[in-house]
Amino acid sequence: MSVDLSRGIGRRWRAYRECPFARLVRLFTARIFRGSGDNDAEGLDLSIGLVLTLLALPGGFVSVILFPKYGTLLQWMRGVVNADVIATALPDEYFFIVLSMAVTGAIAVWRWDSIFPDRRDYLNLVPLPISSRTILLANFVGVMFLAVLVAVDVNAASSILLPLAVGSTQDTFVFFARFAAVHALSVVLASIFAFFAVFSVLGIFMAILPRPAFMRISPFLRTLIVVSLVTLLSTSFAVPLMLKQFSGVPRFGVSWLPPVWFLGMGMSLLGKADPHLTALGRIALPALGSAIVFAACVYSVGYRKHFVRIPELTNAVVSSDGPRWLWLRRLNELVMRDPPQRGCSRFVWKTLFRSEPHRLLLAGVGGLGLVLASQALFGAFAGGTIKSGHLSAEILSVPLILFFFVIGGLRLAFEIPVDLRANWIFRLLLDWKRHDCQAMARKLILISVAPGLLLIALPAYCWLGGWWAGILHTLVVGVWSILLTDAVLIRFRKMPFTCSLPLFQQHSIVILLLCAMGFFFFAVLMPEFEAWALPEPLRLIGLIPVAAIAWYIPHRIRQNALEIERALIFEEVPTRGFEVLSIAE
Amino acid sequence: MLEAVHLIKRYSSVPAVQDLAFTLRPGQVLGCLGPNGSGKSTTVKMLTGLLEPTHGAVLFNGRNIRDDLPAYRKLLGYVPEEALLYPYLTGWEYLELVGSLRSMPRRAMGQRIDSLLELFSLHAHRHASIGSYSKGMRQRILLIAALMDNPEIFIFDEPLSGLDVTSALIFKHLVHALGAEGKLVFYCSHVLEVVEKVCSDVLILRKGAVIAQDSVANIPQIIGESLEDSFLRLVEDVDTVRAAQDIVAVMNAA
Repeated sequence: MSVDLSRGIGRRWRAYRECPFARLVRLFTARIFRGSGDNDAEGLDLSIGLVLTLLALPGGFVSVILFPKYGTLLQWMRGVVNADVIATALPDEYFFIVLSMAVTGAIAVWRWDSIFPDRRDYLNLVPLPISSRTILLANFVGVMFLAVLVAVDVNAASSILLPLAVGSTQDTFVFFARFAAVHALSVVLASIFAFFAVFSVLGIFMAILPRPAFMRISPFLRTLIVVSLVTLLSTSFAVPLMLKQFSGVPRFGVSWLPPVWFLGMGMSLLGKADPHLTALGRIALPALGSAIVFAACVYSVGYRKHFVRIPELTNAVVSSDGPRWLWLRRLNELVMRDPPQRGCSRFVWKTLFRSEPHRLLLAGVGGLGLVLASQALFGAFAGGTIKSGHLSAEILSVPLILFFFVIGGLRLAFEIPVDLRANWIFRLLLDWKRHDCQAMARKLILISVAPGLLLIALPAYCWLGGWWAGILHTLVVGVWSILLTDAVLIRFRKMPFTCSLPLFQQHSIVILLLCAMGFFFFAVLMPEFEAWALPEPLRLIGLIPVAAIAWYIPHRIRQNALEIERALIFEEVPTRGFEVLSIAE
Repeated sequence: MLEAVHLIKRYSSVPAVQDLAFTLRPGQVLGCLGPNGSGKSTTVKMLTGLLEPTHGAVLFNGRNIRDDLPAYRKLLGYVPEEALLYPYLTGWEYLELVGSLRSMPRRAMGQRIDSLLELFSLHAHRHASIGSYSKGMRQRILLIAALMDNPEIFIFDEPLSGLDVTSALIFKHLVHALGAEGKLVFYCSHVLEVVEKVCSDVLILRKGAVIAQDSVANIPQIIGESLEDSFLRLVEDVDTVRAAQDIVAVMNAA
């Protein structure tokens, strides 16, 4: 009988899977993941499995790092005995909530263009005998499915590993199970909230603005959301401390942060929340419900406004080189003398300003730089060093932090390809052997740094520390920016955005470590040294040998490169373990 | 003069083009016909220097084009089969990019782009992003990009796809005019009527090899039928009338 029952269920499930609604849901879910364009149009071949694996990595990685923190031996060595393990875990719990919200929110921003049915869907689906209500509902179910899938995936590893780490000090399985369930609930619900909050923000603008206006502001809005998510991520360092310091006192500002609501909910369920945190925790579920309902409302309005009217609308977005960008064009022409180099550099600028993945990447990296720079600035304000006229390491580090992220962000953006199939024009017209992409990329990076250095940093530091200190600091930042640019462009031989990118290279971890070390040297050690040297400027001579070494290494590597190693490439082929010689052919 | 000298191309030992040889003289418009998989695209890629032949060489005025590809490409105007363009650039920006990469003088480039955009009825759309262009508009951008530097050699791979009737007619006359100017034109197409009308000579490929090569006027004389029948006889073993009847039969089947 049970066999008949399971067969019956199987038959019904197969029949349901093949019904138009289920097929539509599957179509939309796959489309949201893969994008609405042609395969490999974005240049990055991201399969669903790979995307899910990449999304799950940060949570798992951070959880593993946290294991020693909860180790009993380490705690004993620190003199911590009989500690309240849940109170100890509060900052980590907050971090995981923020991380899950940031990652899920970023996914919603990244896939925004694919979330709504577009012209292609209209042309393919509307002529078929399906009502537009069915299309609307199937798409919304697809979006819901995506939200839940991403939320579960992003938090899967931490939902097991963090409770394991925290529960390692406890004897009972009940503690582990309870902590795991509460943690999983908090982070998954926070993720879903973030997804629908982003969806609602973008959707409301889509619903209230005419299509051309929405298409114009959409990139800026998405950039702003990415910066907000990065800022939210950075609150993970400060907010848990504030929650501890001001326990029981109404916390102005902190109460408005959605991650605190979900933290409050989790801590209440664990019975470890103070009254105020409990009150904030009560906001979590209504906020989540409101976000979903609001998203559904703006979605249906946006659907009516945009999808149903697709035949009347055009995708044309008229743009022109207005006077806004004239200065950049002039600067570019001044620096790039060779016509092909000039053409390529203009292509690079336009790609950076207009290509969505590149803009979002730069917004993310730039946002992180802004957050760290503002923390340094606030630190300087809090320390009262600004008023004293003395240039502290914190205040000196601001341009170095920002330029580190600008230079690093641009270098990273150059690697991300854009519609590889369209690179035939560069393959056809560029001289593979003689076109110097490295020189062009170097000039491009320095053009993007120079205005900030000369027009903002120089006057600001002259005002803060006097002419002499201002000029010296600008000189140091300028020289180190040039050296950093040379360092990040070692072995760079691609026309930006036109070369395929293997997602993981053997030396990726080494590059990450070098970036961390570079940041420490560039934005932490250097300002400390400067703060010590500026009162007696002759001390700055000590930087000359370091700068000479930093200049010599990339210069030497470039000189020693063979001609074949300098030639322009359009395909990044991973190094193979062995080569087939094909002697028989 | 452009010469293909015993060109062979193999992809992982699978032959795509086998011992292809032909000559293209100034003023000659050579049509290249062949069914899917006959090696037309591979041939075009070897002629443009995008692919290196496994054996053989492409010579221009007696010199192997691979000896100085940039110089050869400066003389080459190419319209690829697919209109793959950067969708976020405007039409004008794309053409300006191509002009800069070809090292065209700035002032002349601007004037020529404007004139050609006007002639191809795209001037009003020059500041709209290519992503919003129709297939025909993209194709016209590609044609302008190929023509704007006044090259010596033209390689057109299915240049009429997506073009409206007027643009297609203009283009056919343009190909004639280019031939009359002494340019070398290599024209790949599936559309037999167009090849018959615009080309002086024709090359028919099948499974990577040349199976017929002569003037358009001579090929039917050799085989005794129209170019269309000659083509079908040479390359396709399909009874097209019978195939159409079979399709209708399947549609009507219960």
